[in-house]
Amino acid sequence: MSLPNDKNGNMSFNSQLSAHLFSDLLDSIIVDVASECHRTARLGLDCNLEIEEEELRLSAEARARLSDPSNGGDVNGKYIVDIFGQTHPPVANDIFECMNCGQSIMAGRFAPHLEKCMGKGRKARLKARRSSRLAQNRYARGSYVSSHSQYSSTSQLSNDTSDTTGEGYSNGAYEDP
Amino acid sequence: MRGSVNRPPTPEAEDGRQDQHLSLQEIINIKLVESGEKERLKELLRERLIECGWRDEMKELCRSFVRKKGKNNVTVEDLINVITPKGRASVPDSVKAELLQHIRSFLGSAAL
Repeated sequence: MSLPNDKNGNMSFNSQLSAHLFSDLLDSIIVDVASECHRTARLGLDCNLEIEEEELRLSAEARARLSDPSNGGDVNGKYIVDIFGQTHPPVANDIFECMNCGQSIMAGRFAPHLEKCMGKGRKARLKARRSSRLAQNRYARGSYVSSHSQYSSTSQLSNDTSDTTGEGYSNGAYEDP
Repeated sequence: MRGSVNRPPTPEAEDGRQDQHLSLQEIINIKLVESGEKERLKELLRERLIECGWRDEMKELCRSFVRKKGKNNVTVEDLINVITPKGRASVPDSVKAELLQHIRSFLGSAAL
């Protein structure tokens, strides 16, 4: 195969040809990408699309709600409505067990309870001092008594956990065919 | 070089001289394809374009077009027309240079 002898002619022909070949390759890749996106869109495989449409809709709704001049827009009756349309009571409702004293506590009241329970406040400190003095006295008399009280409290805790695991176990056993 | 199994028979020798309509470009293109170099170059280009995020940009263009037009009203041609101008313009220079270098070296070896 003989190419033109002229050096300049050679170079420009070569680079022209190279550029042409490159855009050939690029065009075929563009077609690949376009056809894949087309397929994804038509088959609804691109779940992001629906999510984005939903988000656009919700944000438009929220904007409309904000511009609605009723209580500044984001308060619905008694509670405040967040961007997902959920309401949260001003004090958290969930009830659980305090790990220090074992009482049933409401989540919103947990911090004040802990202060009393673990000894931040004045009364608690007095209580703690008194109980620690008692414990020291006990310790002085004999380690058996204080270790026994520790053991009883831990056993109470382990009892609780074993109870729950026990229940869990039995549930699993019943569900087993 | 393996010949393709399904290739139609080559034209007879009598018409051979007349069939030199094939331009140099076409001859080179055929060489490119037959040696497998075209496929390699295409794979290389595809890989580089994925690495640099070009492909994701193009997909995003498609997605926003589909969102506007509605997914059942879109044709492949639409998407090609959407992508092509931006696609050609946004190929990174380094990628283009690398591919051109490979192509030129192929041309050089093919000319021998």
